[in-house]
Amino acid sequence: MENPESVSRESKTKKRRKTLNDDQTQSISNNMKWRTEAEQQIYSSKLFEALRQVRRNNSPAEANHRPRGRVVREAADRVLAVAAKGRTRWSRAILTSRLRLRFKKVRKQKVTGGGRLRKVEVRKENKGITVLQRKVRVLGRLVPGCRKLSFPNLLEETTDYIAALEMQVRAMTALTQLLTGGAGGLAAPVDQLQSNLTSPT
Amino acid sequence: MEGTVIRSGSAGSEEDGTEVESYQFGEEIQGLMSVPPESGSSFTALLGLPATQAMELLHSPESDEAPATLSGEARVDQCQKPYLPSFNCSPSFPSNAALVERAARFSIFAGGSGEDSPDTNSMPSNSSRVKNEPMDTDSNPTTPPPLISDPTVGNRNLKSAKRKEREKKVKGPSKKNKNVASESSEDAEKLPYVHVRARRGQATDSHSLAERARREKINARMKLLQELVPGCNRISGTALVLDEIINHVQSLQRQVEFLSMRLAAVNPRIDFNLDSLLAAESGSLMDSSMFTPLMWPEVQVNGNRQQYQQQWQYDAYNQPVWGREEDNHNFITPENSLLSYDSSANSGTSSLRVNLLKMEL
Repeated sequence: MENPESVSRESKTKKRRKTLNDDQTQSISNNMKWRTEAEQQIYSSKLFEALRQVRRNNSPAEANHRPRGRVVREAADRVLAVAAKGRTRWSRAILTSRLRLRFKKVRKQKVTGGGRLRKVEVRKENKGITVLQRKVRVLGRLVPGCRKLSFPNLLEETTDYIAALEMQVRAMTALTQLLTGGAGGLAAPVDQLQSNLTSPT
Repeated sequence: MEGTVIRSGSAGSEEDGTEVESYQFGEEIQGLMSVPPESGSSFTALLGLPATQAMELLHSPESDEAPATLSGEARVDQCQKPYLPSFNCSPSFPSNAALVERAARFSIFAGGSGEDSPDTNSMPSNSSRVKNEPMDTDSNPTTPPPLISDPTVGNRNLKSAKRKEREKKVKGPSKKNKNVASESSEDAEKLPYVHVRARRGQATDSHSLAERARREKINARMKLLQELVPGCNRISGTALVLDEIINHVQSLQRQVEFLSMRLAAVNPRIDFNLDSLLAAESGSLMDSSMFTPLMWPEVQVNGNRQQYQQQWQYDAYNQPVWGREEDNHNFITPENSLLSYDSSANSGTSSLRVNLLKMEL
């Protein structure tokens, strides 16, 4: 009979696709989450903590090998990933990549070698990989952990990643200004950070 | 053709415009009327007037005295807006009058009892006429924003209301395999899955339906991204928007890099600042002995370091030899140490930033 067929076909599409409205509302709420002051404060305090520990860890000869800027950057990214509470792919990728890099330092070199080969291929077969596809690949490389992701999911991850990055920039700017005793207009972030630190919740 | 929808895969933001473009206005008005007064208020909001004045205006084409005043005002307005007189010639816009009348009746019902305000100034009538003009000529019911008092909310309500109405209506005539969906989109939200709906005049095989669903997803997400990335609203076309997104992500990452370099330079000073900042803080932060690095007992520090090793998974801490003099060096010459790290920095631009940092510090 036709009914079971149509039903099965319908069920396939149903399972394949979430409601657009739900998607939008959820991603919008996620974006708003990155914009809240509370989130930024939480991130700032956690980053501060991490930086102090980095500072303590750096006092040994480690400081000679690794650039402190790099270490700080990694710490900042890690704290950001923690703040994402693991709901997004890029945050999980950041958190797991530390573990991977620790044990396999060779991995980085391998990746760059492969990348060069891929670029050569692209130039040869121009019509195989469209312009759009190339851009999608670039974007996938930029967002951590999203290289082999489907386009709509990649867009979703990018949305969250951009929101998180903006918050990171805001928080780090405020922190830097606070610590360097920078020029005026700092009353607000200073107060927030101080209140956040003096009343740990 | 009624209700044909032309979709382009790339144009996400133009979706609503193209959809409604091919729509007959009669159906729009029916949609307006079948929806409760909420859209009625938005309709009057479109006119930018309170309901009373709107009704007054819409009444005016019907009354006998009005044409005289209208034409009089039109003559006055002729210098300002040349296309206004055409509004008075009803034959040139037959649907216009019908639209206005139906809208008038609807706004009457929705707006409740209306008091006759004194003859309106030329201003509101001008604005309403101008609005009615673009409403018909533009085939886009969302009239230009500066004329509307409540643009976005009203339009969105209208749009979503119309979309739901149209989809309800289209379901009737279209009989497709997948269209068991007699539910409206609100029902679809409650269910864990969504029925894929084929609009009339579109291909109905499973492939194109799936394609359309996929495209809708992509377009929705692109729209969100466009709102997030500044300056992306005006660009149309997926490739350019993607370019913008990529640039934005790269610039953000560069900013983070720059700020982290800066923070690294500032880092040694954290200890000094801590005295003032964290005076009141309890021992939840592990070491209060941080302020006196010179006095750290060996054992304690080693224990801490191992703890940190497990936690943070940094490598190469196994060197037992570390001199306290290094600490002092780090304190005193942060800039020099930064410069020495420059060689292992990521890109050449970071050296520029380091120089900037030096200048700042």
